[in-house]
Amino acid sequence: MNLGLVVYSLDIIVFIGIFAIVALSLNLEYGFTGLGNFGKVAFFLAGAYTYAILMERTGIPFYLALIIAMLVSAGIGFLVSLPALRLREDYLAIVTLAIGEVLRLVVKTEDSIAHGVWGITVPPAIHWSGMSVLEMRMVNIGLVYFCLILCFIFFQLMTGSPYGRVLRAVREDEVAAEALGKNRVKYKAQVFMLGSALAGLGGGLYAQYMQYINPYMFLPMVTFTVWIMVIVGGPANNWGVLLGAALVILFERGARIIKDYLILPIDPINLQYILFGVLVIFLLAYRPQGLIKERQLETKAIEGVQKWKNRSSE
Amino acid sequence: MEESLLRVKEVGKHFGGLWAVNRASLDVARGSITALVGPNGSGKTTLFNVVFGLHKPDEGCVYFNGERIDHLAPHQVYAKGIVHAFQIPRLFYRLTVLDNMLLAARGHKGDGLLNSVVFRQGWQAQERELADKALELLNLLELDRLTLSPAGELSGGQRKLLEIGRALMAAPVLLLLDEPAAGVNPNLGRKIFEKIELFRQRGLSFFIIEHRLEILFDFADWVYVMDRGKIAVEGKPEEVAKDSTFYKVYLGD
Amino acid sequence: MVNWAQVLFNSAITGSLYLLGAVGLTLTYGLSGFPNFAYAEFMTLGAYMGYFVTRQLGFDVYFAFIAAFLASGILGALAYRGVFRFLANRGANKIHLMVGSIALGFVIRYIIGDIWGWPTSTFGIRWSGFDIGPLRVTDLWLALIFTALVLAVIMHLLLTRTKTGKAIRGISSNPELALASGINIERVTLLTWAGGAALAGVAGLFWGAIASISPLLGWAMILPVFAVTILGGIGSFYGVLAAAFIIGLAENIGVVALTQLGLSTEYRMAIAFIILIATLILRPQGLAKAFRRT
Repeated sequence: MNLGLVVYSLDIIVFIGIFAIVALSLNLEYGFTGLGNFGKVAFFLAGAYTYAILMERTGIPFYLALIIAMLVSAGIGFLVSLPALRLREDYLAIVTLAIGEVLRLVVKTEDSIAHGVWGITVPPAIHWSGMSVLEMRMVNIGLVYFCLILCFIFFQLMTGSPYGRVLRAVREDEVAAEALGKNRVKYKAQVFMLGSALAGLGGGLYAQYMQYINPYMFLPMVTFTVWIMVIVGGPANNWGVLLGAALVILFERGARIIKDYLILPIDPINLQYILFGVLVIFLLAYRPQGLIKERQLETKAIEGVQKWKNRSSE
Repeated sequence: MEESLLRVKEVGKHFGGLWAVNRASLDVARGSITALVGPNGSGKTTLFNVVFGLHKPDEGCVYFNGERIDHLAPHQVYAKGIVHAFQIPRLFYRLTVLDNMLLAARGHKGDGLLNSVVFRQGWQAQERELADKALELLNLLELDRLTLSPAGELSGGQRKLLEIGRALMAAPVLLLLDEPAAGVNPNLGRKIFEKIELFRQRGLSFFIIEHRLEILFDFADWVYVMDRGKIAVEGKPEEVAKDSTFYKVYLGD
Repeated sequence: MVNWAQVLFNSAITGSLYLLGAVGLTLTYGLSGFPNFAYAEFMTLGAYMGYFVTRQLGFDVYFAFIAAFLASGILGALAYRGVFRFLANRGANKIHLMVGSIALGFVIRYIIGDIWGWPTSTFGIRWSGFDIGPLRVTDLWLALIFTALVLAVIMHLLLTRTKTGKAIRGISSNPELALASGINIERVTLLTWAGGAALAGVAGLFWGAIASISPLLGWAMILPVFAVTILGGIGSFYGVLAAAFIIGLAENIGVVALTQLGLSTEYRMAIAFIILIATLILRPQGLAKAFRRT
């Protein structure tokens, strides 16, 4: 079997894992709580750069660097949330977009932070001498998917609980939720901080996998790609978002493979994004709930009611 | 005089130069069904919005159990024991009827992030109890067969009932009902008020805006008539019904 | 020694560019109720039309402007009819429309990238520069300022004297009344989208002529254009008129300040962003209320 193809496929798998984490974080913010965060890349960047700078300048172990990266992203998320979360959805989108660009501009211009446009090299988290490319991929799959599984379990527990119910209520009608005793500012801020922390985790994992980052890798396009993962997969359904992440990455990377096998009048990479855009528009029109749609909350208590109802209707 | 449960003192609220509420004062007695009536645009809903914290008053104060509450956010007013039901139901339409009810519950341990994810035993037991209480209420309101349906599937009248049911689920001390019988047939309207009377006997206090005067006056203990932001007339229903000002307010002068 | 006359002149240039870019955005945002992120691509297309006409067809630069105007205008009309009205009719909410505009942006940008390639290029036109007193000017800059002035006059007349213009103001401020008074909202909206996009195309062309062109050109411009739109107040032409020159001035004075402080002039872009963020936080409705008309 073609080794190059195997390595390339493993590469795709790592990318799916990393972006699944980021997409899940957006799902928490937008899918469950209705927060239109169009500045996701800012927190991805913050995590990536924090990790890179820590690994370049200090000798701390990688897992500590990842945790600090998450904390920094969460901190920035908190600062942003203070003024931004009370804004109307379109204003929130624009403000988060702008904040992302400001952050990127600062990192690009201030060479003292991370060498500006020249970028910064990042040592891989787990490494031994004589490691092959194949082994490198496998190790990363292990690391990334370990984090992904933890995140996924956490999100499922969170959104499938009364807390998740409150988030949905804030999404549906925040004034009504407030009138029923839910402090919407608190919930929105918590969600935004958590979402930012997880995006930062994704960023840190990305930095150590790519082993090199520069400001051009954190354009708004990253945010948009993650949005498409959530919309395609299914807002407010974590399984759906996993599927969305996989499909989008496969779509993106698949074109590169096809290039070697098919001759088309249009460059497949361009064609892929064109088709992508058209597909998203159609999905928004005909299936905005995504491929796997949101399911009703099912706690043990609700399951109990369901059973009772089924029995009484027999 | 016994201290009133809710005291609205010289409250004023304007929007861009127009005073929707203009130095209105009233008291709601503990354990009473107090009515707020008046023609459209007289400021009744705005007054309610000030009481439950959606708007801050530009003038005056609001006291509940002797405590000032006019600067509090709605979720804090809820914590004090005042629950508001909207005139046009603000249900969580994509969530089930049961979810809507459970969201109204006071002191749900699962509302906190740490409790929800980590200390799961605590809220799971509580939720079963709350679900029972919710079903009991839904039964009373004859909505129980729709327990697991999305709230969006309910008819207009059923939505109104759920809005009220949700407010009752919140175990309030004072319930602010904004036109509970609006848009439903007169029989159902009367039934709603009979349920209100039932809950009053259980110790709840009610402050109600209503247009269906013929039903309201059968149940209310005290009536306030509002006109252009001010309280024009107040008294027992039969007294107010005989007051000429009352008719002038409604028919215009 | 700072050449303040040049700073003022440069502010006029920047302001004119932003005015051309923002008029369409503010009016369509106000009418249709959502920010169209594909607007960036309306600008990019204008620049490439110019490139096509001057470099590939070899025509005079004046035809480039006409081509940019028409091409982007048609694109705007198609975007409205084919995508946004379609999505709105299918029940899309504001966030869906925003994501839809991003998707549309991808489509247009990659089509442009496929046709003309991704690397940056230029018009390769040498604009003659000369001095007027202390000012260094080129005929391109003068053309830009002139275009902006003409636009401002035309828009003012349009908004105050014509039925369509009054309709635009009416629909923005009171949609129900507008509907009741028999204005053909659909036609006005379509015209606004087409016209706004056409202007965006011209703005893109100027930007491309001044700097360079690439498929990401629109995205280089879009955030300052958003800043102008928000500062001016969504839906308000007069607001945008003021905001464009305020931000133009802020940017150019900012560049002077940055150099004095020893900071990189790359931060010039950040000035518009900071104004945008500050406006959204402190006064989201922008300046428009200060002007009693729309």
